[in-house]
Amino acid sequence: MPRYKIADVVFDAELMYGYTAKLCEKYLYSGSDKPEFTAVMTQKDIDAEKMQEGAEKFPDYYLESLALFRKLCDYTLSFKQGIIFHSSAVAVDGKAYLFTAPSGTGKSTHARLWREMLGDRAVMINDDKPIIRWVDGDFYVYGTPWNGKHRLDTNTRAKIAAICELRRGTTNRIYKISPQEMLMVVMNQTIRPTEADKVDNLIFILDKLLTAVPLYRLECDISEEAAKTSYAEMVENADK
Amino acid sequence: MKIKDGFILREVAGSFIVVAVGEAVKEFNGIVNLNETGAVLWKTLEKGATKEQLVKALLAEYDVDEETARKDIDAFINKLQEAKLVR
Repeated sequence: MPRYKIADVVFDAELMYGYTAKLCEKYLYSGSDKPEFTAVMTQKDIDAEKMQEGAEKFPDYYLESLALFRKLCDYTLSFKQGIIFHSSAVAVDGKAYLFTAPSGTGKSTHARLWREMLGDRAVMINDDKPIIRWVDGDFYVYGTPWNGKHRLDTNTRAKIAAICELRRGTTNRIYKISPQEMLMVVMNQTIRPTEADKVDNLIFILDKLLTAVPLYRLECDISEEAAKTSYAEMVENADK
Repeated sequence: MKIKDGFILREVAGSFIVVAVGEAVKEFNGIVNLNETGAVLWKTLEKGATKEQLVKALLAEYDVDEETARKDIDAFINKLQEAKLVR
């Protein structure tokens, strides 16, 4: 049975499909830490994924990978003060910036513009489904194998410097937003649990996250100018 | 009037939100954003309350005249009924 370490959680996985094994390959773990749980994947897990909106068209092997992700997220939410945050996370000089928006808005594109502008200084942590964890009073974003259609992720973590909601606009402008404004955005870009105790775990983390991390909204088109606008405000002017 | 089972009010980062838990998720998968007044009314309705009791609760918490309070309460109840959060 393969052993993985994702988001600093060591676990074993009994998989049905090679697709999931291949997807998670980079996160195989051979260190001495004991596994915290075993994810046994069954047809029942796959069938449960099929119940999700729009999922019935996906093949079983792909749904297995999503089901594994769900198990990992469930574990981190229950025991590790971790949440999934649908976003494109890019680290610059070791500090992470998260761009979030509904699918199709252009968060991957915006992250790519940052990489083109910054070259080696920019590292893609994850382009779609990173995990955020609260560790010793700081928030970190972790790479995961669930990395979006461009397959971009790094098996690492970085301290979160800022979170930015992306909206399409005709001009480029960026401004700070309140925790209240970001809350609804985040609630729609995470997996919302249905059990009351897990909802409380989620709320505990969000309450801390949204008060600890600078929050922005970027209205932008798809251009180099858009990346310059967000970079100037979130990185260069961050401490001013 | 009483809030249906399976809906919980929580405060997070300075906002009040209501989400469904357990079986109630099947009926309602959204999030309701409440202001402070809404939160007071919600808490009163969790235990079950008449409209008169809501008026009393609001007047006790806020420096507001009765007419305004009644108007706010009517609007709030309408919202809850539309979203089918009360029974």
